Amino acid sequence: MNRMVIRCASAACIAWLLCAGLVAPAAAQAPYASHPYFVGNQECAECHRGPGMGYQQSLWWLSKHAKAYTSLAMPEAKEIARLSGIPVEPQDSPICLGCHSTSAESEDWEREDAFRLQHGVQCEKCHGAGSEYMDESVMRSREASLAAGLIIPTKDDCMVCHIEKGSHDAVLGPSNFDIDRAWEEIAHPTPRRWSYSKPPELPANKPDLPQITGSQACGECHAGPESGYQYSLWLDSAHSNAYATLATPRAQEIAREAGIKTDPMVTPDCLKCHTTAHYEPSGGVQPGYQWFEGVGCEACHGAGSDYSPEHIMRDSRLASLAGLKTVTHDTCLSCHENAHGKPFDVEEAWQQILHPTELPPPVEEPRYKTPQNLAFHPSGLELYVACEAANAVAVVDVTSRSKVAEIPVGGKPNDVTFHPDGNWAYVSNRLDDTVSVIDVMVREVVTTIPVGNEPQGLLTDREGNLLYVLNSSIDSISVINTRSLREVKRLEASRNPWALALSPDGSQILVVNALSRIMPFRDPPLSEVTVIDTDRAVVEYRREVPGANLMIGVDWHPSGEYGLATLNRTKNMVPMTRLLQGWTITNGLAVVWRDGRVDQVLLDEPTMAFPDPTSVAITHDGNFALVTSSGSNRIAVVDLQKLISMLQQATDDQRQRIIPNHMGKATEFVVKHLETRDSPRGIRIAPDGRTAWVADALDDSLGIIDLDQMEIVGRVDLEGPREITQARFGERLFHSGNNTFQRQFSCKSCHPNGHIDGLTYDIEADGIGFNPVDNRTLRGILDTAPFKWVGSNPSLSRQCGARLAVFFTRIQPFNPEELAAVDHFVCTIPRPPNRYRPLGAPLTETQRRGKRLFERTRTNDGRVIPELGRCITCHPPPMFTDRQLHDVGTQMWLDTEGVFDTPHLNNIYDSAPYLHNGIAKTLEEIWTVYNDEDKHGVTNDMTKDQLNDLIEYLKTL
Amino acid sequence: MSVMKLLRLRWSTRWAASLTLAAVCAMAVPVRSIADDGADASADAATAAGPVTEEITDQHLPFVYTEWEHFTTADGLPHDHIFTVKADGNRVWVGTDNGLACYDKRTGTFQSWKEEDGLPWRVVTALDVDPKTGDLWIGLFGGGLARYSAGRFDHFTQLNSGLVNDVVYGVAVENNHIWAATTAGASRYNLVTRNWEIFTEKNAPMEEIWNYGVSYNDGMVYLAVWGSGVLEFDVSTERWNMYLPTDGEMEINLYRDDGIVHVITTGTSYVDKILWISTYFGASRYDGRHWRGYYAHETGLPNDFIPSVKGRSANEAWFATDQGVGAVVDYPTDTWVTYTRNPVTQRGQAVIQRGERVLKTVELERCLPHNFCNWVEFDGDDVWVATSKGLARGRGTGYFPRLKAEPSLDRDLVVGADAAPSVISD
Repeated sequence: MNRMVIRCASAACIAWLLCAGLVAPAAAQAPYASHPYFVGNQECAECHRGPGMGYQQSLWWLSKHAKAYTSLAMPEAKEIARLSGIPVEPQDSPICLGCHSTSAESEDWEREDAFRLQHGVQCEKCHGAGSEYMDESVMRSREASLAAGLIIPTKDDCMVCHIEKGSHDAVLGPSNFDIDRAWEEIAHPTPRRWSYSKPPELPANKPDLPQITGSQACGECHAGPESGYQYSLWLDSAHSNAYATLATPRAQEIAREAGIKTDPMVTPDCLKCHTTAHYEPSGGVQPGYQWFEGVGCEACHGAGSDYSPEHIMRDSRLASLAGLKTVTHDTCLSCHENAHGKPFDVEEAWQQILHPTELPPPVEEPRYKTPQNLAFHPSGLELYVACEAANAVAVVDVTSRSKVAEIPVGGKPNDVTFHPDGNWAYVSNRLDDTVSVIDVMVREVVTTIPVGNEPQGLLTDREGNLLYVLNSSIDSISVINTRSLREVKRLEASRNPWALALSPDGSQILVVNALSRIMPFRDPPLSEVTVIDTDRAVVEYRREVPGANLMIGVDWHPSGEYGLATLNRTKNMVPMTRLLQGWTITNGLAVVWRDGRVDQVLLDEPTMAFPDPTSVAITHDGNFALVTSSGSNRIAVVDLQKLISMLQQATDDQRQRIIPNHMGKATEFVVKHLETRDSPRGIRIAPDGRTAWVADALDDSLGIIDLDQMEIVGRVDLEGPREITQARFGERLFHSGNNTFQRQFSCKSCHPNGHIDGLTYDIEADGIGFNPVDNRTLRGILDTAPFKWVGSNPSLSRQCGARLAVFFTRIQPFNPEELAAVDHFVCTIPRPPNRYRPLGAPLTETQRRGKRLFERTRTNDGRVIPELGRCITCHPPPMFTDRQLHDVGTQMWLDTEGVFDTPHLNNIYDSAPYLHNGIAKTLEEIWTVYNDEDKHGVTNDMTKDQLNDLIEYLKTL
Repeated sequence: MSVMKLLRLRWSTRWAASLTLAAVCAMAVPVRSIADDGADASADAATAAGPVTEEITDQHLPFVYTEWEHFTTADGLPHDHIFTVKADGNRVWVGTDNGLACYDKRTGTFQSWKEEDGLPWRVVTALDVDPKTGDLWIGLFGGGLARYSAGRFDHFTQLNSGLVNDVVYGVAVENNHIWAATTAGASRYNLVTRNWEIFTEKNAPMEEIWNYGVSYNDGMVYLAVWGSGVLEFDVSTERWNMYLPTDGEMEINLYRDDGIVHVITTGTSYVDKILWISTYFGASRYDGRHWRGYYAHETGLPNDFIPSVKGRSANEAWFATDQGVGAVVDYPTDTWVTYTRNPVTQRGQAVIQRGERVLKTVELERCLPHNFCNWVEFDGDDVWVATSKGLARGRGTGYFPRLKAEPSLDRDLVVGADAAPSVISD
């Protein structure tokens, strides 16, 4: 949207309202008169330059602030981004840009045309968008300029960005940032007797010569990794500082020594080698040119007006004819030779300023496969394996038991299924919110279908007419017509639908949901198995599974009488004081009967748990179920006749109350355990019924089980890297129950996919029975220290180290190497892309209104909101946390403390419930129910539609 | 005499002059096929294309529902005060003053839910079924909005969701959206993105925000707004249109057929490109260009106080009033059937009118369980009526749309096996 249109429209509306007498022209309304926008450092420099203003612009240009954006082009920035779970280019990431640029949270229409994000942390980053206070008449009055939005920053404002960040320290070393020293370093006082300085005069034009376009014009194309970050490299170079250096005492000293009595910044003799415009004659400068670009691209390559059009630049001969100069050593020597008596090694300098278009290939981390789920082609000849870390599907020849191909698909593929006719395969891409459609004959993705957030399991109905896709993070099921490849409807699941299975007669699909429904405060979990009627493609039943969560694997018995689903039984309602006898988490199966009854049995044994049951497959003869335990690298072989017989002989009371918690029962029906490689997940029975194949996710291989012998008899190497990186090692530890007493659970048991389990826990550390706390996501956690809701853990190593052992795992803590690896892995868990505002997308009108509320300083009736009552004070961008403790009025009878750590808000829509104890089931409830004293931001004056707007904006963060 | 009465008198007088011509036209109007489906013979039969087959006479009569069943708490309903009813295949959902019920047509039994059964709020004022998912959406008077999906209730309130207000009068499913008409504006919930939108005077042409009803069909959402007429929301363009009495400054229409009869609207029903509107002061029909107003004193409307309307076609709409049900069954001829109950004898009556002229009266052993009617729902050929004292189903065995020449009353006014014989009188 055009900024001016909005401003004019606002002004027109207000004028009209004033005329109509509908709005009193009270001072309280003034702040809404116009929307401030960013004007860019050049506008500030119109006044704040030269000796009369203490060379303020030059000081800034030579500072790290001005180079903050360009630093994101450095390899270190990529590593920091990786450690922050940021899966995009740092120069594109709102989180990185939030501290490395100005107005990162703003839209294009909120920036003057001349504003350049590339100029890093500019004046307005600290002083606020300048459109309303920039006029001289306003700036002459401190009161007026403050009223118009000028911010006088404090050291606390600096700390929003300069606060210690684990990701930065890990790559750059400890910052040892000293705010007082930094404050002095960036001091740019206005002289008491200030005066304006004129810019230098341009040299005389030569109308026949090309004009200088300015380096910013070059930077329109020569930016980003595809151009070797050339513009950033130049901005970061001494060449770009060449003009600003003329403001330094050393420059003035040199000038004096040369007998120059005028300010070097306006002296042509100095400007000749310190600016582009004076270097050699040209046809003049175009509006985009600025003095402050110093020695820009065109100083060496020649004035660009004739060769800069893209079609000319793409043809080197044409470009040369149009004036693009070939740069030689002589070009450099014309200025640098004997300059100010400094020695100049042209070869060395040449190497320093190299800016090739193509970057050397980056040193990439080993790329693992991480097979998650698998599907047999209907012919039984091939097996497709969704390899999450490789963004590919591996094709395995079943006969030769070897990988024969790899098909690139979307981001983080999770599950794969075939159309019954065998011509098509469908793959869910968890990162991209899509399904890849593979033409099996040519082994290529032929199209991609958009679906809901974080798709996991998928399969077709028996006829292959409809494809069901589980959208795990928005709790729905996309139903796709396989002919039109369009979504025809979306069904309501429970929370985090994860896996599904088609009944033998094709009439029903069982969908298991990973998370419990959001329950009333202090109620135990309640999970749901969602039953789809495939004739009508509607949800027919919702089977409740009390006390269960993390239901992530499911299969039907061939009789069609029941299905089996994996589950955890998490005892989050009792204080986490011990693990013995299943006190904290037990693991097992649900038997979901066709008539609606649900039994639960445990696969744990008293001294050896079966952590993280992940997938289940039932043999074609119906005699056995094979269940993978990703946390203990085992497969349990369940004798189903024994299991069902045990249940049928039990009383109703035993089936409801005793057996679901009975750790001795597993020995009655688990007849064998098979050892696997690291982290077995998906398991499938081959169509011929003779073998079962299991994806050992963190070993990049498949195990093959002979069902007659019930032994692992073969292995398919998916050809992942042999090297085990620290992150991979950490990933294995994260998913292993070996670090827990009796292997009851792993880190993943509470943080599936590095996220949340939606439960509230009572941890012993702060008193038994006190301080229940909501589980928090690990995505993007590194830079949000301190940890814990009371902020008592300053680092991840503290969080995952001894404290974890004492209060959670009740076993020897990780050794230092393990701890470092786990921490490293946790840091690299990627943040999913924001689903409510795609990268770079403008805000919607609703979101835009919400942003104004988020940043507002006055209530609806014009009262000033105290600073601590503003959303943005405690949730400042880019992380949207000030990482401080605050009392937001949420202390309850079980809490011994009233101040809590401020959570970050990135992808906040995806981590219900909310508040420290998970009492707010929705974002709305935070303010409609639990903010009656306006302590969690001043919100009670808001109308309902304003609160909706605010929430729609929060979802974009 | 109040201004209202004066104005009403003025319309009556004014319309009386034109009525004669209108009535004559209506009585002798040529129609192509009077028993056609209304969709084909929509706006004005006099100008409809096609061959003229016959003229309408007093022997051309509509179908009359003579076989009525009543359902009360004795049959399994949770309460006798019925606000709304929604047919969905073999199921009929019923919203009452204290609970939700579902009638299984295969078994003839009710299942019901009160708060203790998981229903989030006792007063169910509105119902609609998502045709794609089969999920039931429930408007709760004071309790917000609920979804009943395969045995699970999900509750949306002004506190836990983006719903604008908990006093929900109407609910409608529009593609992937749920609309709720509330006392403080309308809400639109996107089932795919989970986003909520609120429509009030701030972003819609709502002069008042008290939304009484909402309906959706054929790409159009209609809001009946107390004091703000009818708002039309075109789903394809997301643009609003507002229908008010043409005067602009009066709450009523000065000339009956100039525009919507009154700003205090209660319900809308859009079918075959025709918009039917109920108000507390009469009813309206709008074909996109022409308006037609209806008042009790000149039609088969039992009263001008009309809580809701349900259109069956371009030619047929049923109006639930506080004194019975009035159904315009053949728009071109202005033929009505009015169903009422005699509170003394408890017998019923169906009166066939052409305009204000009574053609026949059909005495019924049983008709409505109560004359205060809140809602009408079509269920194939059957019709359901929600009243303040029970639920009624009119069996539509042998139903035909519009009129038939000299229908055999014995055949067409079918008497059900379990119903008492009807008495036919002129």
